[in-house]
Amino acid sequence: MRTAHAIGIVLVVIVGGLVACGGDRISREVGARCDRTADCADRCLTSSGDYPDGFCTIDCTDLRECPDDSECVAREGGVCLMFCRENADCEFLGPSWVCREEDLRGGTGKVGVCLGS
Amino acid sequence: MSRLVIVAILACSAGLAAAEETTVVEDTDASGTIADEIGDQGIGAAVGIAAGGRVTPGGLRIAGDYLYQLSSEDWFDGTASFTFGGGGAACYRDRMDLVVCNHGFTDGGAIEITAGVRRMFASQGKYRPFARAGVGVAIVRFGDDDVSGLAFPLHLGGGVRVAVDPRVAVVAQGEVVAGFGRFNRGLGWEPQLGFALTAGAEFRLP
Repeated sequence: MRTAHAIGIVLVVIVGGLVACGGDRISREVGARCDRTADCADRCLTSSGDYPDGFCTIDCTDLRECPDDSECVAREGGVCLMFCRENADCEFLGPSWVCREEDLRGGTGKVGVCLGS
Repeated sequence: MSRLVIVAILACSAGLAAAEETTVVEDTDASGTIADEIGDQGIGAAVGIAAGGRVTPGGLRIAGDYLYQLSSEDWFDGTASFTFGGGGAACYRDRMDLVVCNHGFTDGGAIEITAGVRRMFASQGKYRPFARAGVGVAIVRFGDDDVSGLAFPLHLGGGVRVAVDPRVAVVAQGEVVAGFGRFNRGLGWEPQLGFALTAGAEFRLP
């Protein structure tokens, strides 16, 4: 019986550890580096001044279609880009990324998103 | 030298088990020794689920076992298992250009051979608990990402065995898996971490 309890505890620790390992702002959906569509879940914005080293994104018509931490902006026909308030919020994408204001898609007003400088 | 010792242990175990078996025939159900119940050799099959994540495969688990008695409480437990998972592409390049794979709990596939030892404990009524430890070598594959690797997982677990017939037992077991694997696509060495729950039947060999 003691052995069964020990096994149960180990299983709980393992499962908890696996679940806890999930958090990262960059994903195959939004944020990963890319050269081609196959590198991404949906679409690759190939490397340019606006997207240094390429940027995986998904098409959107509304904020609700974008993952957490990203906004649907009126660029490239509507894409999800990383939300930001200041340049420091974009540093995780690389040194060439800054926070810029863009028009929201599917809404009114502007929002800060990370783009190449 | 060590090989001689192992051969001697196996020979002694086999001889001991054979000797025990001859006495068991006369009192099969008289709460005999563990060896009486299990026999010196057995085979089994089990099915269940394996859960992994990242580059540890998970999904439907089908396994076959071979048991060989080593001592009055311990059996060699050799296992061949197949894991059939689903999932699509889940690898990408992070901003540092390092490949990261974030597969789900039941993604990927694997073929594994494991060598281990199963220790049987005293029965509690019809139920005989056991603990198991082993080391395996596995070919792991995540097809949609074209990621393959060779993994070396350690297995630690336990379960319970219920004899339903002098030659047949039902077995349920759970195990945790931890180790490392070497993968292509620039992933290199990656940790392996998961667990599996299976149930099946074991058959005593004559």
